[in-house]
Amino acid sequence: MSLSKSSKVKTLGKSSAIFTKTIVQMNDVSASYDSKNYVLKDIKMSIDRGTNYAIVGHSGSGKSTLLRLINGMMNPTSGKILVDYQTPNISDKKFKSFMHKIGYIPQNLGLIKNSTVLENILIGALPRVSGFNSFLKKFSDYEIDNAKKILKQVSLEDKADRKIYMLSGGEKRRVAIARALVQKPEIVLADEIVSELDHVTAREIMDVLAEAQATMKLTSIMVHHDLQLALEYADRVAVIKEGEKILEIGVEGGRIVDFQSGNYTQREILEMFTNESKE
Amino acid sequence: MNQKNNLIIGLIIAGVVFMSANVDADPRDFVEGLPNIGIMLQEITEVDSSLFVTAFWSMLETIQMAFIGTVVGVTIALPLSLLAARNLNNKFVYIPIRALLAAIRTFPSILWAILFVIIVGLGPFAGVLAIIMYTVGFIAKLQYEAIEAVDIDPMDAVSAIGVSKLQLIRFVVLPESASHLLSQILYIFDYNIRQTSILGLVGAGGIGFYIINYIKFFEYGKAAVFMLVVLVTVLIIDWVSVRIRDNYIIKSQRGMQVRV
Ligand SMILES: Nc1ncnc2c1ncn2[C@@H]1O[C@H](COP(=O)(O)OP(=O)(O)OP(=O)(O)O)[C@@H](O)[C@H]1O
Ligand SMILES: [Mg+2]
Repeated sequence: MSLSKSSKVKTLGKSSAIFTKTIVQMNDVSASYDSKNYVLKDIKMSIDRGTNYAIVGHSGSGKSTLLRLINGMMNPTSGKILVDYQTPNISDKKFKSFMHKIGYIPQNLGLIKNSTVLENILIGALPRVSGFNSFLKKFSDYEIDNAKKILKQVSLEDKADRKIYMLSGGEKRRVAIARALVQKPEIVLADEIVSELDHVTAREIMDVLAEAQATMKLTSIMVHHDLQLALEYADRVAVIKEGEKILEIGVEGGRIVDFQSGNYTQREILEMFTNESKE
Repeated sequence: MNQKNNLIIGLIIAGVVFMSANVDADPRDFVEGLPNIGIMLQEITEVDSSLFVTAFWSMLETIQMAFIGTVVGVTIALPLSLLAARNLNNKFVYIPIRALLAAIRTFPSILWAILFVIIVGLGPFAGVLAIIMYTVGFIAKLQYEAIEAVDIDPMDAVSAIGVSKLQLIRFVVLPESASHLLSQILYIFDYNIRQTSILGLVGAGGIGFYIINYIKFFEYGKAAVFMLVVLVTVLIIDWVSVRIRDNYIIKSQRGMQVRV
């Protein structure tokens, strides 16, 4: 976060509360991989700081693409995105330093298979390590302690020296979460992190994330296949269908509190997902 | 089998026969020459046993040359391979580096040896330089191909943290391509010992110097002793590298402990 922002907070006084509220803003964002077929169309989205935001949709609806727009790994074809008041773009030096604060857990996790659990999660600390020390793989005692503390948080403290290929699917997901948390993130993006797991393990992992979110006061944006799971854990849920956001709902204590959708009824939405899980 | 295939195979066989006649490669010469092996083997038993000591020391020199050449060559090749990888650099960097490596690879080691004999004079140093050049061209190419084959997922996930390129190399590229590199180093060391054994032919040191001189003076028995030492050494090195490979590379693939 830049200095100019904090000075604005001072001068704006009370209204700064509104100013600092939104962390992700999308205005009519469209995205395409081949500039012909649109994968995302006119997405409008506003995510407040501290929100537990879920994105739900069928396979191929554009969920992963949406996350990659938020962390600057991909640029929109049209429309405007602001993340922490900046346009996400990995080639932009200023945004790159905000990327340090975005924990990204991709759909395939992206762990280094031949490295240990501890080495993998310390990657999250690299932005705080000098070039020379990181070349020697040398981390300060503080970083190692902190990494171990986070390993404990995800219940992997006894697996620190294991290689990734020796872990179960659920354990690998915990490592990816830990790597993101070591970043001391402001935002965590998690792409279908529990989709392939059984219900019990899925809930264990979601609980770990929910706890981290509460204690670290971060904004989480998670992609799910399962609407039920999203309703259970999120404050707000957006539904994406064929690249369009068709619905956004607020949730409190597992109950839908505000339902905003022009074209679909609540029942149609629920059917859309119950049909899929029967398939 | 269709007729077109038959025709192609027939043409290839005809080509081999025709070209053999052209280059004077007559199988009858081979059969007639076979008894010469017996003469050579008999001559081995007649040579003075002190010759084995000389052969041993010259083989040791050969191994040392190959070892230095391999270590220095790999050390130079590694940064070049990082610069030549398309997934880490833009084309203004990787195209010139690739062109340089391709140029280095056009020469076999024996031609490099001749060049270095002209530059630094006769002796093992010229041979070491030749081995370095060959190793650089060869390992850098194999290694940049291995780097380009590194899984895109961890590259992507770690880039998304906004780390520097050197950090990306140290924490993703090197660990993910290390087992390739190890297997290439073992291979090139083995190969370099065999190559170094012939560099003496052009005066660039090593055991080949003795072999070529004994052959020049028709002392085939003595030459055979030196060739035998090369054979045994290469077999031993081969056996050792198979053991190392089993211990480090195969285990890492099966999911056992490996230190990188
Ligand atoms: N790198 C790419 N190049 C071209 N097309 C792509 C690329 N990545 C995704 N797509 C296409 O974009 C569309 C949306 O993909 P995306 O990965 O965002 O979907 P998703 O909602 O995450 O699906 P899933 O639930 O299966 O992960 C798909 O039609 C996909 O084929
Ligand atoms: Mg996806």
